[in-house]
Amino acid sequence: MFTNVTISLLEGFFGTLKLFSLTLLFSLPLGLIISFGSMNKSSIVRLPIRFIIWIIRGTPLMLQLLIIFYGPGVFLGVNLWGSGDSGRFTAALVAFVINYACYFSEIFRGGIQSIPKGQYEAAAVLGLTKRQTFFKIVLFQVIKKIVPPISNEVITLVKDTSLARVIAFYEIIWEGERFIKSAGIIWPLFYTGVFYLVFSGLLTLLFGYIEKRLSYFK
Amino acid sequence: MAILEVNGLKKKFDDDEILKGISFSMEKGQTLSILGSSGSGKTTLLRCLNFLEVPDDGTISVNEDLLFFADNAKLTDVQIRKNRHHFGMVFQQFNLFPQYTALENVILAPKLEAKSKEEVNEIIERGKELLTKMGLSEKMDNYPHQLSGGQQQRVAIARALALSPDILCFDEPTSALDPELTGEVLKVIKELASQHTTMIIVTHEIGFAREVSDEIIFMDGGVIAEQGTPEQVIDNPSNERTKQFLANYLK
Repeated sequence: MFTNVTISLLEGFFGTLKLFSLTLLFSLPLGLIISFGSMNKSSIVRLPIRFIIWIIRGTPLMLQLLIIFYGPGVFLGVNLWGSGDSGRFTAALVAFVINYACYFSEIFRGGIQSIPKGQYEAAAVLGLTKRQTFFKIVLFQVIKKIVPPISNEVITLVKDTSLARVIAFYEIIWEGERFIKSAGIIWPLFYTGVFYLVFSGLLTLLFGYIEKRLSYFK
Repeated sequence: MAILEVNGLKKKFDDDEILKGISFSMEKGQTLSILGSSGSGKTTLLRCLNFLEVPDDGTISVNEDLLFFADNAKLTDVQIRKNRHHFGMVFQQFNLFPQYTALENVILAPKLEAKSKEEVNEIIERGKELLTKMGLSEKMDNYPHQLSGGQQQRVAIARALALSPDILCFDEPTSALDPELTGEVLKVIKELASQHTTMIIVTHEIGFAREVSDEIIFMDGGVIAEQGTPEQVIDNPSNERTKQFLANYLK
């Protein structure tokens, strides 16, 4: 029984992992782009971006999932996401990417704005272009500064993936809950916690390693 | 022939006129020190020369090449970068790049312009040479946070020299240092002066300025109040504000 449950839960965890890794893959670069938008000198760019960030950070992710999944059908009468599991997955991914990109963008913005003005000026008087200044001087210092808050968000994301079951996205909690109905046992649902714990433990180790690798400068 | 000629330079921040028409010139190989109390505009003047601030009016010429005049106030990034090649800048807060070693800090900018492997090797050799000249041959592979303030500032001087600027500018190079560390930085600047490096030094170290400078400018309220040799300006000031300033400092 235990082995069977473990195998089933691993299947469910695969769904969790898929949503987790693809969300990271898309939301990190998108977050960087949004952070540039939110720091743009022109208020025509900056204000709408800040408004979107406010909306996304100011409402529950679960609500965003529901609106993104049902919204196009309800308001526009179009079936944007297609049918079945793949449609649910796409909708969930879109909601997660937008949500996490907004959180990441604020972390990036904080990191970029914390770089002292003197670094830009030193680069400028040495004749570096804006591009060289960003990639050769600023970016690495930003990465060092944002590793701890990013690791926080990433570990939150592991657990947030469980919210996607609100639109019937198949993941580990969904799988765990199934045993209540099919076999009348609840412990598989509790057992899912172990999967989350192990995975976030591994991530903690990974981020600790990255932090250590970046500790050679201050 | 003057290496640098500044004429009628003006700069306003909002409604605050920081530079009210600065004109001076300097010869190649000379050391010019700019003295003055805080807010007199001396740092702003230096920042204008390095195009960290864009002046509102006036002209800046290096080697009779007009780099800045009010009508071309909208310089492109490319022009500004070209103009900056004439100047090197050493900051009060050093502003070394923390993720690079001392040597990497020095060679970073020249390396970006290198076209061949041999050129890169030459740049590295020259970087090592410069750091050795600064007395840092043992510290080349150290990161800035492993160096004392005085050592960091000497790396910053080597970094500025690595681009062979026509004029090396110092913005209060010892103000952020412990008193016991100022000596090693001043010694390096003195050596550069004795080798006829063209330098403009904004400083509060009056004694040092007298010793090292060929020419002194005393600024007050955005204008040059007094200009001359160290003997004239420091030992026999004629301007009331200069006298007052020096009296405060010598107390």
